[in-house]
Amino acid sequence: MNIHIISILVSKDLSLFFRKRAIIILTFVGLIFYLVIYFVMPSSVDENLKIGLYSPVSLPVFTQIDEEGLEISPVESEEMLKEAVLDGSYVVGISIPVDVAEKLSSNQKPRVNLYFTPDAPQEIKDAMEVVVRELAYMQTGQPLAFDVSEEILGQDMTGTLIPPRDRLRPLLAIFIIMMEILGLSNLISEEIERRTAQALLVTPTTVTDIFIAKSISGIGLAFVQAVLIMAIIGGMNRQPLIILVSLLLGAALATGVSFLISARARDFMSVLAWSFPILIILIIPSFTVMFPGAITGWVKIIPSYYLVDTVHRAANFGSGWGDVWVNLLILFGFTAAIFWAGIYILRRKFQ
Amino acid sequence: MSDYAIVAEDLTYCYGDLVAVDHINFKVARGEILGFLGPNGAGKTTTINILTGQMKPKSGRAILLGMDVAENVKKVKVDIGVCFETTNLYEQMTAIENLNLFACLFGIKSFDANVLLNRVGLEGRGKDRVETYSKGMKQRLMVARSIVNQPQILFLDEPTAGLDPTSSKAIHNIIIQERERGATVFLTTHDMMEADKLSDRVSFMNQGRIVALDTPLNLKQQYGKRALKAKVITPGGKLEDREIALDTAETPGSVKELFSQENVVTIHSKEATLEDIFIKITGRGLVE
Repeated sequence: MNIHIISILVSKDLSLFFRKRAIIILTFVGLIFYLVIYFVMPSSVDENLKIGLYSPVSLPVFTQIDEEGLEISPVESEEMLKEAVLDGSYVVGISIPVDVAEKLSSNQKPRVNLYFTPDAPQEIKDAMEVVVRELAYMQTGQPLAFDVSEEILGQDMTGTLIPPRDRLRPLLAIFIIMMEILGLSNLISEEIERRTAQALLVTPTTVTDIFIAKSISGIGLAFVQAVLIMAIIGGMNRQPLIILVSLLLGAALATGVSFLISARARDFMSVLAWSFPILIILIIPSFTVMFPGAITGWVKIIPSYYLVDTVHRAANFGSGWGDVWVNLLILFGFTAAIFWAGIYILRRKFQ
Repeated sequence: MSDYAIVAEDLTYCYGDLVAVDHINFKVARGEILGFLGPNGAGKTTTINILTGQMKPKSGRAILLGMDVAENVKKVKVDIGVCFETTNLYEQMTAIENLNLFACLFGIKSFDANVLLNRVGLEGRGKDRVETYSKGMKQRLMVARSIVNQPQILFLDEPTAGLDPTSSKAIHNIIIQERERGATVFLTTHDMMEADKLSDRVSFMNQGRIVALDTPLNLKQQYGKRALKAKVITPGGKLEDREIALDTAETPGSVKELFSQENVVTIHSKEATLEDIFIKITGRGLVE
């Protein structure tokens, strides 16, 4: 590794990056892409409410109900119910107490617990209490006195109202970072296809020098742009360190993805063809913030979810390290795996 | 210090089952220009790639300036310059930026790109982006880039392929100047005239093997056929060719007979070309 050579290569990469007409075109493509995303989003809402029910006593009406919009599934224990709500399997969890029958027969009020995800809308919380009372009525044939208690699992994010444009913050951050995939992939694939990398490799430059330079250029470009955008839109006002770490990991993730794409792509058009499906997948998690409840738990298999969720929590709710460290750890794991895979595959192409 | 700039010892390289370079051996003296001739697919570029450390041979050794290339790649690269067959410049940068970039990579501090651009006939175009250059200009810039570090060994892979005479001449001049500076030049080419004119020795490569290696003169003497070629007018008024082999016992008599019995219009000596010799040795032409 030669720091002098790496600094020259970084300088060269940045210089070339900003000279490319393609980059300007990409900005417009990005805007169009934004519109496409808007129009491909479903225009109707899935109104089915997935409810988990823990009931130690038999309540046939609760599980056999054929009410439009309600999907009630039994869960074996209260702990499992809480976990299922937390991981997004259910929007709400209903826990019926063991002594429900005894208390009702002795004219006491049994206590029914309702568990909600942190971002469950207030309307759903209000509606659920009504639903429980209605189901109890259907079960017994008479109105029953219940104490219904609500518990938010995880950090309650509904207490603070977030203006819609603040909800855009994670989307913008990830959009800026992921758009760098296009530019960087194009830069690297051109280096290979135009054989300029071969010219570098007959100088004292090594493949390692080239990779380190590309990594610095890629991460640097994505990171600086994302930080600037976040600063401009006020995303750095709360928990700036967490935001910086998240964006840095996100930039490294984007660079790793660029390495993978440029190992396959041969020219600008094939960079576009490879990048767009990947970009669409990586941007999907940001819509969980824009439209809570629109996308379910499967979104967690997308690496960028952990970037979006961390930025959302830290920038919009001021969540601290204790709340987001698991997210950051998972994001780091995904980033390390993708970065390593990108370098491994691309290195073979260079050699 | 080794007397030889380049030594290839039993070099072999395979692409799968195809043996691209097949146990080749040769030495190139310091300050010598070696013309490396052969048709497409003969193994010339693979040989350059091995010699310049871009590929590792399957077996054998490449020794440059006394150093085993496989073991001293970084050291060797400091002292070599490579001009590739395919143009691989940073086209969105200017010529000066391209040259400065490579000078920096070689760690050269006092470098004036304009001096080099003047040498290759690109004066006044240094601030233009390379993408605006013609093919000949790009190739001249490629040659200029290959000598940025004043290499002890200069590898030129088809440097004049498809170029106009002006660009070719500019590149020939650079090759001669580099030899005068003391550099060793390893020149691969299809052009036997170019090889004949520039090379101290030429090597014929065919199907991965070196089939002949000597000075152009020796090769012509060894494999060529000298002859007199005449055009005569027959009694019927037709123009016909006559050829008399030189260096035979019958030559004086045949010449005397030609002039006494035929109406000679033109007469000149005919020498074998490197192409003729290559065909004679390999049974195939240089350009196929």
